[in-house]
Amino acid sequence: MGGFWCQGRRSVALCGRCWSQARWWGRTVKDAEQVLRPGWSGLGGAERGLRRLGTWKRLSGARGPAAQPPRRPGSSNPFQRAQEDEWRRRNKTVLTYVAAAAVGMLGASYAAVPLYRLYCQTTGLGGSAVAGHSSDQIENMVPVKDRIIKVTFNADVHASLQWNFRPQQTEIYVVPGETALAFYKAKNPTDKPVIGISTYNVVPFEAGQYFNKIQCFCFEEQRLNPQEEVDMPVFFYIDPEFAEDPRMVNVDLITLSYTFFEAKEGHKLPVPGYN
Amino acid sequence: MSTAMNFGTKSFQPRPPDKGSFPLDHFGECKSFKEKFMKCLRDKNFENALCRNESKEYLMCRMQRQLMAPEPLEKLGFRDLMDEKPEAKDKY
Repeated sequence: MGGFWCQGRRSVALCGRCWSQARWWGRTVKDAEQVLRPGWSGLGGAERGLRRLGTWKRLSGARGPAAQPPRRPGSSNPFQRAQEDEWRRRNKTVLTYVAAAAVGMLGASYAAVPLYRLYCQTTGLGGSAVAGHSSDQIENMVPVKDRIIKVTFNADVHASLQWNFRPQQTEIYVVPGETALAFYKAKNPTDKPVIGISTYNVVPFEAGQYFNKIQCFCFEEQRLNPQEEVDMPVFFYIDPEFAEDPRMVNVDLITLSYTFFEAKEGHKLPVPGYN
Repeated sequence: MSTAMNFGTKSFQPRPPDKGSFPLDHFGECKSFKEKFMKCLRDKNFENALCRNESKEYLMCRMQRQLMAPEPLEKLGFRDLMDEKPEAKDKY
């Protein structure tokens, strides 16, 4: 009984471990309390109990089960004993709560990943993709004729890629809900076939979630033979919900920017998204 | 591409196109349709709404030459143009 305190914190911690261990093995707190009844012979009893459960062989150094840890003389005063019992019970409760909180934290850290993804999708924070647009939506969408948006085009090439890549129109005026076609032109002036792969960017970022490409030439390898020049179309539309978003009230200009990189043979670029 | 890795700053997330990538028109089979479309755009001051017929014809050319997966034009947003067509047909 009094032997609990003699080892100071270590024994309490170890005992705390015992209690937690008891929990893990499916025992209720009540069973743990029985283990800690008066008459329980300190660490030796814990060792026996845990050996039964098949866990630690040796709890405390070289001391055998027969040797008892040195104890403080037990309090003969019944009131003090009752108080010590009360402290012990309270300690146990606190440790149980702490263990439960630790488990709760671990569970919360696992749950955070899908929850955060859901949060991003609903609020659109971080520019995440809005839930999918099917072709039915394209079929049924109604152009918002009073909102004219100017879309400008930009073309870039990475330094190591020697293509001549440029848009064929500087700008185009569209309305949300109307599909539009635009062209880029690329020429390979070298004498070797070159494979390029492109990505795109839309400015302003918030408008990017309303900019939907039905078909384009990005994210797939495009091979140009020597001295070959091709037209690259982009077929896109701006989601009609753009007109209803209060944050987009002042947006009249959207810039679509494509950048081409050289693709190495056998190098597979991952398609963006959460797939 | 934005490279800012800060939490909370809005960054752009590129999305793959709905119907994938256009195969390259290596032989310029639809070049005449494209030239017609570009001429229309230049004439009409780059207004897309006035050149939708030409863009529809370009996409139809692609579909006929296996440069695009064939799809009913309504699914590509040309429903208003399709509604006009049967009227023209009925005349004849």
